[in-house]
Amino acid sequence: MLWACLALFVLFPLAALVARAFFEGGRFAPGALVAVVRDPNHLRAFGNSVLLAGLVGAAGTALGFLFAFTAVRANLPRPWAWVLDATAVLPLISPPFTTAIAIIFSFGPRGLVTYQLLGLKGVGVYGLGSTFAAETLTYFPIAYLTLKPVLAALDPNVEDMAFSLGSSRARVFRTVTLPLTVPGLGNAFLLVFAASLADFATPLILAGNDFPVLPTQAYLQITGLFDFKGGAVLSFVLLVPAFAVFLLQRAWVGRRYYVTVSGKVGAQTAVKSVAAWARWPLLAGCLTVTVVIAWFYALLAYASLVVALGANHAWTVVHYRVIFTEGVKAIRDTLIIAALGMPLGGLYGILLGYLVARKVFPGRRAMELVSMVNYALPGTIVGIAYLIAFNDPPLALTGTALIIVACYVFRYSPTGIRTTVALLQQIDPSLEEASSSLGAGSATTFRRVTLPLILPAFFAGLGVVFIRSMTAISATIFLISINWTLITVRILENMTELSLGPAAAFSMLVVAIVVVVMAALSRLLRQFRTPGRVMVASLLGG
Amino acid sequence: MSAIGIRLERLSKRFHHRVQGEVFAARDVSLTVAAGEFVTLLGPSGCGKTTTLRMIAGFETPDAGRVFIGDEDVTAVMANRRNIGFVFQNYALFPHLTVFENVAYGLRVQGRPTAEVGRRVGDVLTLVGLQGYDRQFPQQLSGGEQQRVALARAIVIRPRVLLFDEPLSNLDAQLRVRMRSEIRALQQALSITAVYVTHDQEEAMAISDRIAVMNRGSIVQEGGAETLYARPASEFVARFIGRVNLVSARVVAVDAAGVEVEVAGHRLRAVAPPPAPAPGDTVRLVLRPETIELAPAGGAGPAGIVTERTFLGEKAEYQVRVGDEMLQVTRYSGAAPRFAPGSAVTVRLPAEGVGLLREGA
Repeated sequence: MLWACLALFVLFPLAALVARAFFEGGRFAPGALVAVVRDPNHLRAFGNSVLLAGLVGAAGTALGFLFAFTAVRANLPRPWAWVLDATAVLPLISPPFTTAIAIIFSFGPRGLVTYQLLGLKGVGVYGLGSTFAAETLTYFPIAYLTLKPVLAALDPNVEDMAFSLGSSRARVFRTVTLPLTVPGLGNAFLLVFAASLADFATPLILAGNDFPVLPTQAYLQITGLFDFKGGAVLSFVLLVPAFAVFLLQRAWVGRRYYVTVSGKVGAQTAVKSVAAWARWPLLAGCLTVTVVIAWFYALLAYASLVVALGANHAWTVVHYRVIFTEGVKAIRDTLIIAALGMPLGGLYGILLGYLVARKVFPGRRAMELVSMVNYALPGTIVGIAYLIAFNDPPLALTGTALIIVACYVFRYSPTGIRTTVALLQQIDPSLEEASSSLGAGSATTFRRVTLPLILPAFFAGLGVVFIRSMTAISATIFLISINWTLITVRILENMTELSLGPAAAFSMLVVAIVVVVMAALSRLLRQFRTPGRVMVASLLGG
Repeated sequence: MSAIGIRLERLSKRFHHRVQGEVFAARDVSLTVAAGEFVTLLGPSGCGKTTTLRMIAGFETPDAGRVFIGDEDVTAVMANRRNIGFVFQNYALFPHLTVFENVAYGLRVQGRPTAEVGRRVGDVLTLVGLQGYDRQFPQQLSGGEQQRVALARAIVIRPRVLLFDEPLSNLDAQLRVRMRSEIRALQQALSITAVYVTHDQEEAMAISDRIAVMNRGSIVQEGGAETLYARPASEFVARFIGRVNLVSARVVAVDAAGVEVEVAGHRLRAVAPPPAPAPGDTVRLVLRPETIELAPAGGAGPAGIVTERTFLGEKAEYQVRVGDEMLQVTRYSGAAPRFAPGSAVTVRLPAEGVGLLREGA
């Protein structure tokens, strides 16, 4: 049953995509692929994609490390640590264009900073630089969330040991702290690299004509030229590096992940690896980023409340009136789809997680791998694959809500799956044996012991599916129709029509809804006593 | 409820080892536990004691052999149909349930009425000394308290037998001693059959009616604590239970009462396990450190030199060199004279009742 679902919604679309790229009228014809590979424009897009992803990966990892190191190692007072967390969380729960819009508001031809403040004219904001900046600010939280537990798990006693052997702080950092973090850094880099490689919303708005990247090219090929085959071929080209990163990251994490868990925790010791004076420069570095991000969101809120930012700064609620009249269908559709996807995604997550972690059956590892595929691949690929696979009978799902829900469930449930697996690994099998020795059958044991203990994973999975249903665009932009549309798509339409006010208002609405639902979910999570706490961070982890 | 026994008939369990290939976790294990008896499976880690216990519980299915509880063959019966009480090494308390609900779990599964559940859980919590803890969660309790909850949860369903898998190994030394006498007292009060697994020989001797020593998947000797200590049947048992000197000796005479052996020019009487050795055979004497006495040099007996003395409060432990051999000697404080390292001493071996192993045993 589960295999049938996985085959239908993961393997089949991917196969359809590859088939479309390689076959022409039933015959093997790699000519189109070769043509694309030879096309200098596409070659440049490929090169640009990899270059951008590499730069964003490096900068995002560095920024994430700065945040994580400051948060975990600098003995910050609590409110400051909270500020760092909040800074990192905000970009993760926002629609994909927020940073891009804010950059245009700030530094665009009529931007508040460039035009109004500095009086510059004809500033070119579009290109590699701004795309790089926007993606780094959007994706560094992934590195932060990856590195923070790694640094936190580093036993301070190990650093103490190095101090006792006469090392200076700088030397301890260089010879102990950093080497132990290397696996985490590698993992963070790959995750940010993959996120940037897959991002299509930011380059669509910021990259401009001179800096084409693959996901946007594929999108334009399909929506602009209705060239499914071209889109499929470009997606396939993108698939190669994306899949390589996916496998590399799995191998890397599989081999090194548990190194940091040293088992026995020594005596609690204060962290001494950061000198008292050094806290403040570290904190200042982080706060600069915080201020930039806060500025972006304040700007967005401001833009949603004035007639036209940069031209007419009179207060108005007209943009909100617009989104609650014209835009109400998108809001309703998005909420319906999110509400449908939530329970399904949560259920699918714990079911698959339970099977993978607790049951022994042939193809178990294959099932786990397949369940991760849609999550690991760039959304553009998944979207185009779904479009190709479900466009024709017998599975003509295009235009229905079902296809969007399925896309979200299979793309964003891996968080739920991984949380379930992680929770089950902390739950000793002897708990289930104890239940059995007390007379409970396996169904009773699952219902009364296992299920209550993995319920937090259910909520975590559900939360991620909800957040992504509200904020994602890259896959589903190919799947919307007259019948079913999404807020994020409306934002994009508003952006291209240059009606930035409603776009800002929509973005604020999404952030507000997500914050409210998240708060409700984490309250709910706190109601459950569990052996291992599920951090809200893992709810957002991707 | 009158107690019923357990019978294991030639239980075997293989598993696949990454380096060694197919290995036996348990091999032809046969054991009879009488009704109301407390039997301990004792052995080093990896000897198969836990696997054997888990086969009694039904958590593992034997590859061969049968398990009887009372007269019922339960080999093919699922764990939840065996009506056993199992106490886990890590307690395995349900973290999402209160103490009361943990203990009530088995009764609720049986579908007992609420009033009965309340009464029986209250009774058993009082029995283990945890009245008033109903609404606590397991993680709020100390190790000893968690242990008591695990015990209460196992006995409240009135199981036919109680099984313990190293239940005290997570507790500190003092608490371990107290809990083991509580477990013993509880088992006696309930007069319930119990099988207990541990690697701690002192714990095994303190708590059990009978001990079955296991090594490499097999039971190598069973008996009461004193028998095992005084008359080990193999070097493994001799060394595993208590400390021992194994000293080579030569049999000089064999008669109905026992064996006369010669060691370092001195003769003493020993008790050999059957079959009896013949005169002229080389054997090894099982000399426990506290059965050897030390006297000032020049007395009757082998001469030795004290090389080390460790004072441990109620006793002192000596290392004494006699010829090529090093002897461990324990002398209890009080009347025993003191010998500093370097002193020349006379070693007095017990004159009779010494245990004996044949070569290779």
